[in-house]
Amino acid sequence: MAGILIVGDLAAGRPGSEFLELAGAGAALAQATGEPLIGALIARDNAAVRQDCLPPVQRLYLIRDSELRHYGAAAFVAAARSALGASSPSIALFAHTLETRDWVPQLAAALDAGLVMDCVALSLDGDALIATKPVYGGSVWGEFAIRGTLRLATLRPGVFTPATPSDKPEVMQLTVEHIAVNAVTMIDEVAAAASGGVNLKNAKVVVSGGRGVGGAKNWHYIEGAASALRAAVGCSRPVADSGWVSSAYTVGLSGSSVTPDLYIAVGISGAVQHLAGISAARTVVAINSDADAEIFARADLGVVGDYKEVLPAFVKRIEQLKS
Amino acid sequence: MDIIVTIKEVTDPNIPPSYVKLDAQAKRIESPFGVAPVLNGYDENALEEALRLRERHGGRVTVLSLGDDSSRKSLKRALAMGADAAILLSDPVWMYADSATVGRALAAAIRKIGKFDLVMCGRQASDTDAGQVLYWIAETLKLPAVSPIAKIAESEPTNLTVHRLIDGGHQRLRVQLPALLGVSSEINEPRHPTMRGTMNAGRALIPGWKLRDLGIAQAVPKVELRRLTVQTRTTKAQLIDGSSDADRGIALADKLHDMGLV
Ligand SMILES: Cc1cc2nc3c(=O)[nH]c(=O)nc-3n(C[C@H](O)[C@H](O)[C@H](O)COP(=O)(O)OP(=O)(O)OC[C@H]3O[C@@H](n4cnc5c(N)ncnc54)[C@H](O)[C@@H]3O)c2cc1C
Ligand SMILES: Nc1ncnc2c1ncn2[C@@H]1O[C@H](COP(=O)(O)O)[C@@H](O)[C@H]1O
Repeated sequence: MAGILIVGDLAAGRPGSEFLELAGAGAALAQATGEPLIGALIARDNAAVRQDCLPPVQRLYLIRDSELRHYGAAAFVAAARSALGASSPSIALFAHTLETRDWVPQLAAALDAGLVMDCVALSLDGDALIATKPVYGGSVWGEFAIRGTLRLATLRPGVFTPATPSDKPEVMQLTVEHIAVNAVTMIDEVAAAASGGVNLKNAKVVVSGGRGVGGAKNWHYIEGAASALRAAVGCSRPVADSGWVSSAYTVGLSGSSVTPDLYIAVGISGAVQHLAGISAARTVVAINSDADAEIFARADLGVVGDYKEVLPAFVKRIEQLKS
Repeated sequence: MDIIVTIKEVTDPNIPPSYVKLDAQAKRIESPFGVAPVLNGYDENALEEALRLRERHGGRVTVLSLGDDSSRKSLKRALAMGADAAILLSDPVWMYADSATVGRALAAAIRKIGKFDLVMCGRQASDTDAGQVLYWIAETLKLPAVSPIAKIAESEPTNLTVHRLIDGGHQRLRVQLPALLGVSSEINEPRHPTMRGTMNAGRALIPGWKLRDLGIAQAVPKVELRRLTVQTRTTKAQLIDGSSDADRGIALADKLHDMGLV
């Protein structure tokens, strides 16, 4: 038995949007190899699967276990291993998230399988899976050949064309066997202080602040603009490193990849590592006092100016336009 | 507490994209003239944290790097920051090695060093952006791996309480030693080498180990780099006009409104 396996998360009965993207990428590989496309969803709660948002897979494994409620590598590796055991795929695909970045390489090492993470393109060449991934922050792309009976890849969110949901694949329950007992125990999970309550990863509009905002005391400018636009708040890495806001808001290579229709970068210079997180943003706006800032080479629209002057006038006008 | 820190020398990640050059085989990024390679940022964070743990609990900090001869400079920098000993793994067989091969070589070297309580790595190297080597080390040594770590909240000789970043927040985890941590940049601000440290490091001898010194065989790589390509960006933002910053702010709002984006 062989197949192309896509593995995602299920929360409140729905897979994350990345699951449909995995299905899109996986379907192309399934067609090229003549192998079936198989899905596996790791349930994070007890909600029943909503059938209307599932991709066209031949079989769908649903993996439930109380150990999967909170993220832990041992349990996730064990869950994936049961799906791999049930389907013996030749290729397995995962979305590239903070969590998969931690557990998928542990799965790869445990199975001695080749893995490339954060892929932006996939193809086949003979027995090799060809995976393209940004390296060196994103200013260079590397093309890798992955070989072996099982080949693994994580895919950058927002890059692959999603599959359209289809009617009712056959759903099979799987249990998790043998969660490795290890020396790591969770004390608790601490959510980042909510910022306007809009989820960064799925937001339609994101307002991000960088080091140019000048300090935690000025962060209200970013919050204010975000709330006027009902946008999620994001930040660049130095902002999180300096503790102005939680790293849960970091956009970029080491933070989240975002996929909004509108991304507004305020006081952000446009380093490749930041741009890596907005490759799928539709329209990018930059507000920066330096006309030569790199961000203007990625942005669609730019304002050269001091954000402390630009943003309040912008917000006021937005509010006028809305009323 | 005896700690081993893996450090990688990398091309400076702050070179502007338009200056990035590749070697003739298109398999390596070359530093433009005059830009020295640097110690991978997250590895510097890992070393800083290791030095702080040693200041609290005593013990030794050993830094370990796999690379060419130039990596001795980064190992010396680590010694100048305060590491007790440095070892270089250098052998032409590792020229284009994949994550598994590098991880297994580093693990074999850690075994050869022998005594340790904690292995600290960066969460990823800024040239490969792979984020894998640490897990191959952990699997080979059968250590629990925890990453990315934004804080060590408590430390005792036999266990640590750490903050591990997850989507939307962090987890507080208790980690029994021995273990391996992947360190993130939130954790600290690395110290600069002292004058005295730099002088001592200058005199230090750094042993160089080859594949045969590690007692491991060379495996067939599962992941092979075919080629690198430089990505160039050509777009240029349309700049919003206005007589003042505030005017431009208003014009931006109007423009986005016209585009149906707000
Ligand atoms: C391995 C690695 C991973 C990384 N991952 C990430 C990541 O995920 N996300 C990320 O963001 N970075 C990441 N970085 C860091 C990245 O390289 C840059 O250092 C960072 O993005 C710079 O942040 P910044 O633009 O906020 O700050 P700066 O580069 O300091 O830019 C500040 C900008 O603000 C402008 N400015 C100043 N004052 C004003 C004002 N009053 N009004 C308007 N504009 C003003 C300045 O002109 C400047 O352009 C990573 C780096 C490495 C090596
Ligand atoms: N050649 C190397 N020498 C020493 N440590 C390394 C090397 N490659 C990777 N590492 C360690 O593993 C981490 C992850 O590397 P990578 O998987 O390449 O992103 C780095 O931050 C280092 O701590």
